[in-house]
Amino acid sequence: MSPVLLDVNGLTTRFATRAGSLNAVEDVSFTVAEGEIVGLVGESGSGKSVTGFSILGLIDPPGRIVAGSVKLNGRELVGLSHAALRSMRGREIAMVFQDPSATLNPVLTIETQMRLAIAAHESLGDAAARARCIEVLGAVGIPDAARRIEAYPHQFSGGMRQRVAIAIALLNRPKLIICDEPTTALDVSIQAQILTEMKSLAARLGTAMIWISHDLATVSSVASRILVMYAGRLIEAGPIAEVLRQPRHPYTRGLLGSLPGIARPGQDLVQIPGAMPSLIDLPQGCAFQPRCGFADAQCATMPALSAEGARSFRCHHPLAAETAP
Amino acid sequence: MLGFIIQRVLQAFVVMLVISALVFTGVYAVGNPIDVLISPDATQLIREQTIRAYGLDQPLWKQYLDFLGRLVRGDFGRSFVYNMPVLDLIFSRLPATLELTLAAVLGATALGVPLGMYAGYRPESPLAKAIMAFSILGFSVPTFWIGLVLIFTFAVSLGWLPAGNRGDTAALFGIQWSFLTWNGLMHLFLPALNLSLFKFALMVRLARAGTREVMLTDTVKFARAAGLSEGTILLRHVLRLIAIPIVTVFGLEFGSTLAFAVVTETIFSWPGVGKLIIDSISTLDRPVMVAYLMLVAFFFIMINLSVDVAYAALDPRLRTRRAA
Repeated sequence: MSPVLLDVNGLTTRFATRAGSLNAVEDVSFTVAEGEIVGLVGESGSGKSVTGFSILGLIDPPGRIVAGSVKLNGRELVGLSHAALRSMRGREIAMVFQDPSATLNPVLTIETQMRLAIAAHESLGDAAARARCIEVLGAVGIPDAARRIEAYPHQFSGGMRQRVAIAIALLNRPKLIICDEPTTALDVSIQAQILTEMKSLAARLGTAMIWISHDLATVSSVASRILVMYAGRLIEAGPIAEVLRQPRHPYTRGLLGSLPGIARPGQDLVQIPGAMPSLIDLPQGCAFQPRCGFADAQCATMPALSAEGARSFRCHHPLAAETAP
Repeated sequence: MLGFIIQRVLQAFVVMLVISALVFTGVYAVGNPIDVLISPDATQLIREQTIRAYGLDQPLWKQYLDFLGRLVRGDFGRSFVYNMPVLDLIFSRLPATLELTLAAVLGATALGVPLGMYAGYRPESPLAKAIMAFSILGFSVPTFWIGLVLIFTFAVSLGWLPAGNRGDTAALFGIQWSFLTWNGLMHLFLPALNLSLFKFALMVRLARAGTREVMLTDTVKFARAAGLSEGTILLRHVLRLIAIPIVTVFGLEFGSTLAFAVVTETIFSWPGVGKLIIDSISTLDRPVMVAYLMLVAFFFIMINLSVDVAYAALDPRLRTRRAA
């Protein structure tokens, strides 16, 4: 096992809204080893993106981290000054977003945007900075990078645009990249391409990744370990093959059941009944309880995260290891 | 791009022709200049001679065609009142208005955009709220009243600044400008401030709305995630993204102020074209009115053209669409 790069412990991020305060992320703990790709899965509103932004220290008011710690190579990031966080972002941890046509600035050339990202961390000469940009663009698979660098984002296709965004994230050679659904907005064929390329790029550069997605299938093709979030809490974690084969939390099994690839042809997909509760008005105890077929009186208390080897889950009635779906 | 400009210049010719017809008929309908030009006790003979001398005995269409004919040769006619070529008359007054307008619009933009961006960046801060409150004042209080208050405060009570006229001027490119001398600059300050308050408020509102919108986009989040400082994000990303509406309003305000700075010019006795056009309307000085209104139309066409060219410079997406 490689040494631990990122250690998130008891992270809790709270948003004060007009309707009351809510914990978008509550008591989330996990680690990412150097060079490891970890998948973070959950529905919209489960807190997976907020977890990513919390790690980067990019939570805007009215939100803030109220508890927990985020350690990068042993250095505590929670509570760092704005300036220290800014210089950490991009250089040690970078982030890629869902829609490249929204993240790239339409009125600046690719070169300008890349040079701004370099200039945020070091002062390179004109020629050196340009050479670095071209090199990284080439590495993410942009053909004819030396010429294309002068183009504007709208002159690229969706897949190429996302490659540019990935190149910007890679520019300062970060040790960790948080990928917030970077393939969701792309065509399916391009998705697969980018997935494969990012996986091999990460392996080649030794960059660790947190791959945030609502799509189990995508995550299972890149990540070695998976974290499942529900209503702001981590409810199951473990090596991806084991979790997919034998989910211990009923919610994880529900997610798996709703995958088209796993259901038999002609059969309806299994749906999880109901919807995720509002974070402002969570049920007593386990948040999944109202939708769970196994729920009983015990579920009115919050189950602890119990560990079994490399796996952990938060459930009073874990699915037995034998009852594989 | 060149094709686009040529197309616009051809359009401009058609527009100018239509404007000239409209203006000529409109001014014809305003009143008969003869009643103003000739003293009531002149004999019938002198009256008829004068009418013929000015060509006013001809039917309207004939007068218009004669006017167009002279126009082609660059002759806008002579002022009835000043008895000098109309263009010379207007151009002798134009620099005064031009420098007043430029000072007002540039000042309002240079100050309004940064303050508006700050107000959009930190909408909850006390300074942002003060800026917005001030901008409401700039919108709602009438120009003439602010002008009088400015004169009363700074010229009459405090005696810091002069109350009117252009002051000393110096020549540049053969034209007299006030802003080149200290005394002239002092004279320019109050009327320019008066004119700029409304534009300042407008720029603040535009920049604030744009900044608030852009700050929430993924572009800004992504830039932050790459480690860019807030200053760099505001200057390099946000300013570029909010520039188009600002340039549009800049052009419109520049044009309309150049043409109609009448109120401020009157209050501060600023000898610009605004005063000239008001005077020529009251004396029914037709050639001046016609030439002036056509010049205004021409300015607007040129300003809109420059704004469109600026769009293409500011937004690369417009460039390719046009080239395609």
